[in-house]
Amino acid sequence: MGRYLSIAVLGLAAALSASFVPQFIAFVVALLSNFTPVLNESRGHPSLVMLLVICWSLRSSLAEGFVWALVGGIMLDLLSILPIGTSSAALVMIVFVVNGVAQQLLRLRSVFLLAITAIATVFLTAYTIIALFLLGYSYDIPSLIRLMLLPTMISNLVAVLPLYAIVRIAQRRLEGGLQIAPHSLTLGTEMGGRE
Amino acid sequence: MRTIRQSGRILALILMLSLCGGLVLLSLAGILAPAETVVAAPLNGLSGLFNRVSLSINAAFEELNSLGQLRERIAALEEQLARRQVELIELREAASDYVRLRDLLAYTAPLEDQEFLPADVIAIEQTGIARSIIINRGTRDGIARGMPVTTELGLVGRIIDVSANAAQVQLINDENSAVSSRLQTTRAHGSIIGQASGVLRLTMVDLDELIEQGDLVITSGLGGNFPPDIVVGQVTSVRQFEFELFQEAEVRSLFDFDTLELVLVITSFEPIDLMIFEETGGN
Repeated sequence: MGRYLSIAVLGLAAALSASFVPQFIAFVVALLSNFTPVLNESRGHPSLVMLLVICWSLRSSLAEGFVWALVGGIMLDLLSILPIGTSSAALVMIVFVVNGVAQQLLRLRSVFLLAITAIATVFLTAYTIIALFLLGYSYDIPSLIRLMLLPTMISNLVAVLPLYAIVRIAQRRLEGGLQIAPHSLTLGTEMGGRE
Repeated sequence: MRTIRQSGRILALILMLSLCGGLVLLSLAGILAPAETVVAAPLNGLSGLFNRVSLSINAAFEELNSLGQLRERIAALEEQLARRQVELIELREAASDYVRLRDLLAYTAPLEDQEFLPADVIAIEQTGIARSIIINRGTRDGIARGMPVTTELGLVGRIIDVSANAAQVQLINDENSAVSSRLQTTRAHGSIIGQASGVLRLTMVDLDELIEQGDLVITSGLGGNFPPDIVVGQVTSVRQFEFELFQEAEVRSLFDFDTLELVLVITSFEPIDLMIFEETGGN
């Protein structure tokens, strides 16, 4: 069921990432730039699709994580200049690492989720720059780090914890466990035990 | 047991990466284009809907936020209007002279012959690295690669990829974009290139040319990628050093690239491929 859900969820996330999210961030930046003009040039926004893929694959099987990575990557590439399958390969590698590390942990701590989000953001950005370079586009790397990577990472780190809580609710409902223990939704230092 | 499981995981990874690699190759070869068009259609529709909603919300909030600024702006604009009215009278005189002389020479201004196709902006580049937009017109509407895209306020970019019902537009503020331009006042030639920060920079202008704040920058038509005389932006600051070969200027577009809603594709313009001359020259 989770595999089919990925098409709708990631499609919606990709559409939001290509429209509402950058518009909203541009609006917030315009408001804040009155106080901090440096923000005016910022062009980062949360990578909703990547975050959803990470959150889902933390508690799912590797096969299901791969399906989410494949579908998410295709959705991303449909709305970008990259050829289909480019982002999927990056997300597949991220899922492989996330799933492998998560299996070694008895308890999933929020610090792990934040660390993996930061690393995945850097990896996906570097991968995309290389893919664009191979396609004939070149960019000023120091400016991209300052104006795109850092704001994206900050917004990803802010968004990942609430997104994980939402994903867990969806996963538990899909697993048939309609009764959700209240303590399992808290996002303190510990993020619920491993089932 | 653990080793077998680990091998299975790695095998699955290799299979998935091979699948992705296959998709990339098929996509680059254009074999996936029909499937991409079908799959992208609902995604583009959804994205377009979100885009319209968010633009409306942003516009409403911005109006509230900038009420004080708007009052000051109105006062400044009223002052400008009074000055422009005087200029307008002079320009009308000049325009009537121009029409008379143009008819005399049977000369047709290039832009008057252009055919425009309006298109809605339905998505913004996902990667955040490249600067491009997706519009809701494709090959079905006669769109082709290389066609210039404008708004009534100036040049937006050019089509770099096209499917049956959508097209990707590389914005002129992308770092990989270069537009041959000239200053409207002095006719000095230069090149407009995008910056990582999103601003436009006029480069390659000779040191002895005069650039002033407020000068309009228009396309020159050199290189054959864009028709001449389309407004690109207005000079906001000039950078000139004696030890450099050229001077530079920062140019601000007359519209905001982040809030583009409706654009115009110049369908009658065919970009000219100058590679043939370079090859001949090389030989």
